[in-house]
Amino acid sequence: MSANRPRILVIDDEPQIHRFLQPALEAAGYEPIRADTATEGLKEIARKAPDAVVLDLGLPDFDGKEALTKARAFYDGPIIVLSARDKETEKIDTLDMGADDYVEKPFGVGELLARLRVALRHRLQSAGAEPVVTAGDLTVDLVKRLVTRAGHAIRLSPKEYDLLAQLVVGGGKVVTHRQLLTAVWGPAHEDDVQYLRVFVAQLRQKVEPDPASPTLITTEPGVGYRWTA
Amino acid sequence: MSMDEPRRPDPDALLAATKQPGRGRLKVFLGMSPGVGKTFEMLRAARRRKAEGGDVVVGVVETHGRRETQSLLRGLEVMARRPIEYRERTLLEFDLDGALARRPQLLLVDEYAHSNAPSSRHAKRWQDVEELLAAGIDVWTTLNVQHLESLREVVWKITGVRQRETVPDSALSRADEIELIDITPSELRERMAEGKVYIGDTARLAAERFFKPENLTALRELALRRAAQTVDDQLIGAMKAAGVEGPWAAGERILVLVGPDGAAGALVRTGRRLSDMMMDAPWIVAHVERPNAPPAPAGGQARLNEALKLAEQLGAVSVVLTGDDLVASVLDYARRNNVTQIVVGKSSKRRRNPFRRSLIRALLDEAQGAALHVVTEQGEPEPAPVRHTVPLRAWPWAGHVAAIVLVVVAALLASVTFQVAETANLAMIFMLSVLVSGLAFGLWPALTAATLSAFIYNFFFLEPRLTVRIGHPADVLTFGVFFAVALTTGWLTGRIRDQARAVAQRASAISALLAASRRLSSAAKQDTAAQALAEQLAAATSGAAVVLTPERDDLALTAASPALEALAPGDMAAARWAWEKGEPAGAGTGTLPNSSWTFRPLQGVKARAGVAGVEPKALAAEDNERFVAALLDQGAVALERAEFAAQAADAEALRRTDRLRGALLNSVSHDLRTPLSTVLGSVTTLLDYGKSLKPNVQHDLLQSIREEAERLNRYVGDLLDMTRLEGGALVTRREWVDIRDVLRAAVERVQRRLDKRAVSRDFPDQLSMVKADASLLEQALVNILENAIAYSPDGSAIEVAAYEDRGNVVISIEDEGRGIPTEELERVFEKFRRMEEATDRGKGAGLGLAISKGFVEAMGGRIAAASPIHEGLGTRILISMPKEHTMPGHML
Repeated sequence: MSANRPRILVIDDEPQIHRFLQPALEAAGYEPIRADTATEGLKEIARKAPDAVVLDLGLPDFDGKEALTKARAFYDGPIIVLSARDKETEKIDTLDMGADDYVEKPFGVGELLARLRVALRHRLQSAGAEPVVTAGDLTVDLVKRLVTRAGHAIRLSPKEYDLLAQLVVGGGKVVTHRQLLTAVWGPAHEDDVQYLRVFVAQLRQKVEPDPASPTLITTEPGVGYRWTA
Repeated sequence: MSMDEPRRPDPDALLAATKQPGRGRLKVFLGMSPGVGKTFEMLRAARRRKAEGGDVVVGVVETHGRRETQSLLRGLEVMARRPIEYRERTLLEFDLDGALARRPQLLLVDEYAHSNAPSSRHAKRWQDVEELLAAGIDVWTTLNVQHLESLREVVWKITGVRQRETVPDSALSRADEIELIDITPSELRERMAEGKVYIGDTARLAAERFFKPENLTALRELALRRAAQTVDDQLIGAMKAAGVEGPWAAGERILVLVGPDGAAGALVRTGRRLSDMMMDAPWIVAHVERPNAPPAPAGGQARLNEALKLAEQLGAVSVVLTGDDLVASVLDYARRNNVTQIVVGKSSKRRRNPFRRSLIRALLDEAQGAALHVVTEQGEPEPAPVRHTVPLRAWPWAGHVAAIVLVVVAALLASVTFQVAETANLAMIFMLSVLVSGLAFGLWPALTAATLSAFIYNFFFLEPRLTVRIGHPADVLTFGVFFAVALTTGWLTGRIRDQARAVAQRASAISALLAASRRLSSAAKQDTAAQALAEQLAAATSGAAVVLTPERDDLALTAASPALEALAPGDMAAARWAWEKGEPAGAGTGTLPNSSWTFRPLQGVKARAGVAGVEPKALAAEDNERFVAALLDQGAVALERAEFAAQAADAEALRRTDRLRGALLNSVSHDLRTPLSTVLGSVTTLLDYGKSLKPNVQHDLLQSIREEAERLNRYVGDLLDMTRLEGGALVTRREWVDIRDVLRAAVERVQRRLDKRAVSRDFPDQLSMVKADASLLEQALVNILENAIAYSPDGSAIEVAAYEDRGNVVISIEDEGRGIPTEELERVFEKFRRMEEATDRGKGAGLGLAISKGFVEAMGGRIAAASPIHEGLGTRILISMPKEHTMPGHML
C-alpha cells in the first residue's frame, strides 16, 4: 500500500458517476483517480499502480471482458466491476476471468465502499494467509481441516468441507458457481449448478446458526455464493 | 438569415440526395482508347486521396511495364494477385476474396472489361466490382469506350476490330461518377510514336488499323457522348429530385423485333440506343415463333437466345409471341402494350415471292400510331438471310383458291401442249399441279385440285370434248386411273405436308415454352412472376390473361395482360370456384360457362399457388392447349417459389426487428439507469459523508441530482411521446399559431442548458399563421434545439429562423457542431439512431428527432436535415408547415 491513503482508480465513461464518486471516495479516506475510457484506465493502472480498480462494463472503447483481460495481464490488485442487472452473463464472465467482485447499477455509495473494503482486506489476508477463520462461535481451521462450533467439532463430508473452505478463502467476495464447481468437483462439472444447491443446503444445515435465514453463506442469485462473516 | 437568400432546398430533395446507404460508390475513368492515360490519372487521384488520409488499396493495376505508371504505385498498398493455373500457364488474377477481407475504403480495380480466368468466381471483372460495391467498398476502375456492349457494333464498323471483352451498359450506368480522360488523337499518336502506349503482342496487327486518326476521332466522339449522357442522366435525376417540371419521356415504348438471324444482336443494341435517346423509355424485345415457318438456319436458335439474353442485360423486357401471321401478332402485341416505336431489321438478300409481302411493307401498311425504324445493318459477317416475310392473310379458303389457280394454269399449259402434240401425256401435267397443291397447301386443297383436274381433263381433253361424257371405253379406264392416282397423290403429299407442319408447330411450342420458363424462373417476386405468366399466357392464346393470387381469405387480381382494373363479379365467382375446388371453371367448362374467361388453378408443388384466367380470341388448338397447360405448371411453380422467397424475407425482417428490440432494450436500460445511478450515488454520498464534505461539493452533488432527475424526466417524457406516436394515440389540436411565438417559447425552455451558446433569432415582421398544435410543435422544436446543444461546442452559435417559402412557413434551426456524415443524414430521424455511435452516449436517448419528425408529420408538415452547411461544419434542420389558404376573417 502506498502513501497513507489507498488509491482507487475509477474507470467510467459517465462524468456524472465521477462527480459523486470522487467526493465520496475522498470522504471515505481514499485517493480517487479518474479515467473515462478503458484505454486511459489501462494507462493509469500501469502508471499509478492503484490499490484497487472500479471498472464500468459499458465502456465506449472495449467491452468489459476485454478491458479486464488486458488489465489482468499486468495487474493483480482487486478489481470491482460495475454492471447493469441485464448484463448477467458479462458480469459472471468477468468474475470468472478474475474480477474480485461486482456492484449492480444503480448502487448506493455505501454498498460500493463496503465491497471495496472487503476486496482490500482480502488482499491483505492472502498476503499474510490467515489459517483460522472465525464467525461468531464458529471456527474454521484451514490447516487442520476442522470446523467447530463453541468448541464442538461439526462433522462435514469431504465435499462439504471443500466447498466451505472455498467460500471462507474467498474472504467475503463473491465466488461464482463455476469457480466453486471447478475447485470442488473438477472442470468436468463446471455446469452442474444443481450439485451446489444440494451441498450448500446441507452445509447451511450444519454451520448456520439459523439455517432458515442464512447469514454466513449468502446467495448471489444467478452468480454464486459469498462468505459474509 | 434573410428572405432573399437563394432558394432553399426542398426537404424531399435533400432526403433523395443520400441514396443507397451502405453501398460503395463506383467511379469510372473513361477513355476513347488504350494509351490515353486512364490508369495514370486514376493512380494520381488515388495518391491525392491517400495523402488526405483515405484508406486506399490497389486491388489490381496493369502498368504494362511503364515507368511513369509504376512510380505512381510506390507508397500505395498493392494487393497480391491470386495465381490461377490454366492450361499449364499460371495467370495472376485479381484476388476478390482478399479484397473483401481487407475491406479498404477505396479499392482500385483496373480494366473494368477484363475477362477473368476460367474457374474464377465471376466470368467478368465488372461482376467482381459489383460484389465489392455491394459489400460497401468504394471502387475506382478504368474503361475504354469500345468495350461497351451497346457500342460493340458501332466500334466494329469504325475500326474493323471486334471487341471480345465487353461490359454491359448497365454496369456503366451504375457508376456514381464518370471521369473522362481525354487527349487529342494527334497527341495519342505522338505518344504511340514515342513508344509510350502499350499494345498487346497478339493485337499488334489489329492495332495498326485501330489507331488510325479517323478511328480515334470517332472513338473520341463516342466517349465524349457517353460521358455527356451520364451527366444528362444525373441531371435528370437531380432535376426530378428538385421537383423541376421537365420534358420527361412522354409514354414512349419501344418494340424491337428480332429473328434467328445474325442481325438480332445489332437490332437489340439499336433498341437500347433508341431507349437512351428517349430518356430511358421502356423497351421490349420480341421474337415471333411461327408454327408454319421453315426451320431456323443452323445456329439460329442459339443466336436468338443470345440476343434475348443481351436484351435483358441491356435492360429490355424480352417476350416470345406465337402466331402464324407475323404482322398480326406484332401489331396486336404493339397495340395492347401501347408501343410507339417499332424497330425491325431489313433483310439484305432480296427475295421475290408473289405470295409473300415483306414484313416492313406490311408494318408500314398496318401499324397505326407507331413510328417504324428500319435497321439496314448487315449484322454479323455470317448472317443467314432474314426471313421476315409473311404469308397472305390467314384465310381458310386461300389454299383451295391457290390449288384451283394451279389446276387452271396446268389446264392452260395442257391445252398449249395439246395443240402442238396431241399424243403428249397431258395427265402428267395435271398430276404435277395436284402434287404441288398438296406440298404447298395441305390435304384438302390437294383433294380439291385432284377432283378439279379430273373434271377438266375429262371435259376438255377426252372425246367427246366439252362434255362430261366419255366416248371411248379405253378412256374410261384412263379417266378412272387418272382420278384414283390424282386422289392418292393429293392425299399422300397433303398428309406429308400436314405432318411436317405439326412437327414444326410442336418444336416452336417447345422453344416458346423454354423462353417463357426462362422468364418465369428469373422472376424473383410474386408480382413479377405473375405478370410474366399473364403476358406469356396472353401471347400464347392471343387473347387476354389474368393471374389471381390468394390475399387474406380472398383472391386478388395480381397481374393482367393487357392491363385490367378488376374482373366482373361473375368472372370472380368462376375464379373463386376454380381456386376452391382446384378444377377449371368458366367458359368452355361445366361450371359457370357464361363467363367469357376460363379459369384454371395453378397447382404448385406444395399447394395451390393461385388461379390463371384466359379470355382467348379464337378457340385454342389442341397443341396450343398443351402449351398453355405446361405454361400453367411452370407459372404455378414460379409463383410458389416467389412466395417462399417472400416468406424467407419476412423471417429475415422479423429477425431484424428482434435485433432492433434488443438494441432498444439496451438503450432503455442504459438511459434510465445512468441518471438513477447518479441520483442514488449522490444521495447516498450526501447521507453517509454529508458532514465531512465541503459546502461547494455538497452543492455540486445536489446540482447533479437535480440535473439527472430532469434528464430522467425528459427521457421518460420522450418514451411516452414515442409510445403515443406509435400507438396512434396522438391527438393533435389544430389551432391558429404564430410560429414566432412557438419558437420563442421553445428557446426559453432550453435557456438553462444553453451554457455559453448564443441563440440568434431571425424572424420577419410579417409571417403567415399556420394551423398546428402549439404544444406538439413546441416539443418538436425543443427536441431539435436540445440536439443542437448536445452536438455543438461551447461558445458556438445556434441560429433560429422562420420564413415563408412558396406555400409553406419554414422553420430553420442551425448549429455549428461537427455535422452529420452524408450517409447518416437520412437516418437521423430514426429511433435510437444515436446508439450506433457509442462515443456520443449520454447526450440523449436518440429519440428526440424521431419524435420531432412524428409530431411534425402528424400536423401535416415535413422535416429534413442538411449537413454540413458551411466549411464542413454544422447541421440545419428544416421544418416546413403548410400555409392555410383560408384565414379566419377576424385575423385579417
